[in-house]
Amino acid sequence: MSENTIVDPIKERIENISQEDIDKAIRIFKEKLDYKYATHLNSCVHCGLCADSCHYYLTHGDLKSTPAYKLNLIVKVFKKYFTFTGKNFSILNGAKKLDKEMIWEWVDSLYGRCSMCGRCSINCSIGMNIPYLIRVARGVLTAIGLTPPGLKSTVDTAIEKGNNMGIKKEDWVETVEWIEEEFQDEVGDENARFPMDKKGAKYFYTVNPREPMFFPLSITAVGKIFYAAKESWTFSSDHYDVTNYGLYDGADEGAGLMSDRLVQSMERLGCETLVLAECGHGYNSNRWEAPEWLKKEYNFNTISILELVADYIREGRIKLDPSKNKEPITIHDPCNLVRLGGIIETQRFILKHAAENVVEMTPNKQKNFCCGGGGAQLSMTRFSERRIKAGKVKADQIAQTGAKIVATPCHNCIDQLTELNKHYDLKVKINTICEIVANAIIL
Amino acid sequence: MTSVINIGVVVSFLFAMISLIIMIGRTRRFGNNPLYAREQGDIKKGIVYAFVKGMTPWEKESARNHLPTYIFGVVYHIGIFITLIFLFSIVLRISLPFFIIYILRYSSLIGFVCGMSLFFKRIFSSLLRGISDPDDYISNLLVDNFLLFGFLSTYSVGFIIPFGIISIILFLYIPLGKIRHCAFFFVERILFGMFYGRRGVYPTNR
Repeated sequence: MSENTIVDPIKERIENISQEDIDKAIRIFKEKLDYKYATHLNSCVHCGLCADSCHYYLTHGDLKSTPAYKLNLIVKVFKKYFTFTGKNFSILNGAKKLDKEMIWEWVDSLYGRCSMCGRCSINCSIGMNIPYLIRVARGVLTAIGLTPPGLKSTVDTAIEKGNNMGIKKEDWVETVEWIEEEFQDEVGDENARFPMDKKGAKYFYTVNPREPMFFPLSITAVGKIFYAAKESWTFSSDHYDVTNYGLYDGADEGAGLMSDRLVQSMERLGCETLVLAECGHGYNSNRWEAPEWLKKEYNFNTISILELVADYIREGRIKLDPSKNKEPITIHDPCNLVRLGGIIETQRFILKHAAENVVEMTPNKQKNFCCGGGGAQLSMTRFSERRIKAGKVKADQIAQTGAKIVATPCHNCIDQLTELNKHYDLKVKINTICEIVANAIIL
Repeated sequence: MTSVINIGVVVSFLFAMISLIIMIGRTRRFGNNPLYAREQGDIKKGIVYAFVKGMTPWEKESARNHLPTYIFGVVYHIGIFITLIFLFSIVLRISLPFFIIYILRYSSLIGFVCGMSLFFKRIFSSLLRGISDPDDYISNLLVDNFLLFGFLSTYSVGFIIPFGIISIILFLYIPLGKIRHCAFFFVERILFGMFYGRRGVYPTNR
């Protein structure tokens, strides 16, 4: 019932959708497509083999949760407006107009039953890029004012205030100063620095705004690693937000604007390399998607902090004592970082050196299951019950490992895993990879 | 096969092929957004992965978990391609040695059995019914009949004309329904390999 109550604003908006809105939606839909998407939309054979690759289907068991059903909602509209057979033989292929009923189905299924994890794509008989088609459709909905409120407010806050938590610049700077002082006490070195706006530093390190708000120890951990490696690095006082919920509402313009701010910080500070914090979708957004949104090639490197830490270990710039992390640790692979981002073995290499007992989940790496926190599910409270239920697949995976710690390089995943931990009584600790490394560092 | 049917088969086949080329070409109308992010992996290796390892049951969970369906699907498609060869051997009046006929016969038969199994699975599975359109059933039945009459034609010349007529109907239907995946599949796998290869996901390089 709570879901119905929260969904009302969306339903109200749908009720007031005009023909002009629908025309606009179709125009935007066409603008967002390219030949790759058009190929995907022509290719589904309805084999249904994707169904049990999806954590929503595995936990809910209903037709609407199958990737094929969700994809078909987009395909039907595509065919109706853009194909000869859809226009003339819709009885054959189920082509349908984008009417109010279909728009509601899009909102409910494409926002509410998909974390855009891409597991269906690698299991698709044909190989369609389903999460990217979902993003296209979400972008169409966003263009006609149908972004679920929680996601919309997250994007709006990031665009208006420079970061998705709305942290004021002075609060951010003070928080880093406070963390720096604490760190100086911890290591007994008053020259230990968490540099802010250091021009010409080699690395510009971004953060997830949830870190200064709720997880300052994540920042301390990274600072400790940089300190141990004697690295030239810096934070930025203005634009530092690694997250980009434009990946999830499908609006390229807003997404590009957010990512471009990091480019501006890079240019202002004159750094060599943009280092992305432990954030799955932040990595995918800024490493892979932002240059496409901005339609320009970056003239600097963009890497994950994990790649840098792995280099420090390889080069002997940081020394680790794995006996500091004795408890069994399992790795949760964030979909955007691993399956869609390509950082797969790096975190394993790091943990091999930082912990004594690493236990893999099954399946893992590219084939991992989503925790359920992706696709902006955490911000869309109307779908919370589904999200927690969908997370049972991950909860079961964690329980089967017998691990006491779940290490994951993503704060969205950490939030979801924290909820799963409580809901399914997993009795595990959840850490970032850098927190585990920092715990093992020998200074 | 009469020359009228012969011509019909050739013309309808050409119609299907040209239609597929046009359909793939029409996807280009939507444009080709250039990619700006720096490549991390190897696109060529990604494409090889997409067509080889990426299709195997030990790599693809959906194939592994639905092994009978996967095997039936593979055998079905092999049967279709072999029956196509048989059809054109008739059209081109190429006489085949008996052992080849023997292979064609049983490929068509086994393909037909697999195709009908998939047809009945679609009818009896509520999940598959839920995602199916009339085209899914029509396409399957057209191909199944193509296989059946291909099989029967290896026994008796009396079935060759119906085989030709069914082939014509099938070819004419191809652009209208999902059998178009006979062409789109290859484009899709290339796109799959390009996407994951470029990002260093398949094959893994980081």
